[in-house]
Amino acid sequence: MRSPAAVFDRIPKFVLFGVAGLIQMVSIGVMVVDRAMILRTGTDVTLQTRPVDPRDFLRGDYVTLSYDISSVPAGALNGTPSAGWGMPVFVKVAPNRDGFHGAISVHAAPVEVTSPEVLIRGRVGFGANCGTERRTFCDRLDVRYGIERYFVPEGEGKKLEAARNQRKLTIVAAVAPTGRAAIKRLLIDGAPVYDEPWF
Amino acid sequence: MFERAYRQRLEADVARWQAEGVITPATGEAIRNSLPALGAGINIPVAVAIVGGVLIAAAFLAFVAANWIEIARLLRFAILLTGIAAAYGVGAAFAHAGRPVLADLAASVGAVIFGAAIVLVGQMYHLGDDFAAGLLLWAAGALAAAALTGSRGALAVALAAGSVWTEMRVSDAADVPHLPFVLFWALSSGLAIAWNSRVAAHLVALAALWWWYSPASGLTRDPFIITDGAALLLGAGLLLANSPSESLRSFGIILSVYGAFALAALPSTALAPLASGNADPPAWAVGCGLAGMVLAFTAATRQVGSAFAGISIAFVLIVANRLVQPVSGESWAAYALELVAMLSLVVSGMLDGARPRAVAGWLGLAALIASITWAFEGSLLHRSLFLAAAGVVTIAFAVLLGRVLPRESRR
Repeated sequence: MRSPAAVFDRIPKFVLFGVAGLIQMVSIGVMVVDRAMILRTGTDVTLQTRPVDPRDFLRGDYVTLSYDISSVPAGALNGTPSAGWGMPVFVKVAPNRDGFHGAISVHAAPVEVTSPEVLIRGRVGFGANCGTERRTFCDRLDVRYGIERYFVPEGEGKKLEAARNQRKLTIVAAVAPTGRAAIKRLLIDGAPVYDEPWF
Repeated sequence: MFERAYRQRLEADVARWQAEGVITPATGEAIRNSLPALGAGINIPVAVAIVGGVLIAAAFLAFVAANWIEIARLLRFAILLTGIAAAYGVGAAFAHAGRPVLADLAASVGAVIFGAAIVLVGQMYHLGDDFAAGLLLWAAGALAAAALTGSRGALAVALAAGSVWTEMRVSDAADVPHLPFVLFWALSSGLAIAWNSRVAAHLVALAALWWWYSPASGLTRDPFIITDGAALLLGAGLLLANSPSESLRSFGIILSVYGAFALAALPSTALAPLASGNADPPAWAVGCGLAGMVLAFTAATRQVGSAFAGISIAFVLIVANRLVQPVSGESWAAYALELVAMLSLVVSGMLDGARPRAVAGWLGLAALIASITWAFEGSLLHRSLFLAAAGVVTIAFAVLLGRVLPRESRR
């Protein structure tokens, strides 16, 4: 019986190089298709953006976005053990009287929600390292949802920044059943300015 | 590179031995014929062609960047995929034509384009800013390419991306090791061993040290953690260096060299904060250091020098884990243990014929003596007395070794 190494050596080189390239191309493709699936099947959530520290404004050609749900009270998680910076959490949101989704509660694991509530998955930044051992949740959590950057053509970021700082900029995000979110639409004063195609 | 230098040295030796009558011409020819033919290296036309290829690739990237906004998003995506396909297509053509160096280079370029494509796709589609996850994808894709194509360059790309990934994943609670990288490292090590490649082994050893450095540079800022990693690398390397498998032996020797140098770095980096250091090193790190010591002593059953490496590890660990406390602000016991540790490393290298290990010990000794002599605090007179006493003890040790060791082991 041939050894695995001998079998491997018998595979033509162009097959091996082809498979290597194919793996990488498929990986890139999965990134795009995965996002398209969120946009296509996800539940729409409207979020109010808020001003951010000016030093964090436009870096390169993208706008930094922060939301009212980017900082949430820890609630029942306060003082409980955390896995530290970057730990995934699930924030339950529901539309308020203004039509924007606001945070209701935050959880360390997925929980059942009933419409119109939606569960968004995020990662904790500051707020996961309290207590003497720095291993418990603080009373307030900074949560990132993976929708904090929006890349724009060069020079178009200033307009969005100005609108964001006047709280005129809102976004519609699609949220998949798993809680992962993707930016679907940007609006200024309720009027769409950027609409994301699936591909 | 090293193989070519070795061949030149061997050829000079064989020619000299023949001229001096030590060996017959037939024996000389037999020695030459016993070695496999050297692989095709990088000659001048190949080197010039590489530069030309890199310039064309850079021109292509600059052209795409200059027109990035004007190009439709799907077309941009297609360009990225085409770039990857072209790199591996060219690599396959070179491999088919028996040009392994150029095939390796093409696969490396493919791995780099893959990383750039991840970043650009993230930008085009506003994907989340979990940059570490993107690096993991890059590292995994490059590692797969390395495994399939045998490209050392792609392995280097994978380890570089993986190292940045682990650095980013080490949270501010740095007492928790980033274990997923260990799996990634083990797979990379498997490739280095399977290829029996010294270059790959060097890359893997560097990545291991980087993984140990990450928690040391985290919020705990405990420089001693890297000492535990050095001990594990040295001990495991010494054990593997006694393996019957040629590739495992070569891999182990390289690991042990990196472990020895990292171990010898303690005197120059850690004695200053020793007096003020009060944080307990994490248990997992101490456990790894002790495991390294046990492995070194286990290796001593085959190579006696490994026992001295085990002694060196033991004494360094005692200092690094703060089991000796300063007296009146002076770390005399720590200095003494470090001196013995570095001297043991020198003896270990000399006994096993492992010159780099001995050099690591010499450098450690030099750094230690320098740090004792030029310490800012404490009495210079006390330091001179300490160094004099240490010198007398060391000479006594040399006399003892001269009597105990067989003559051929003393060199």
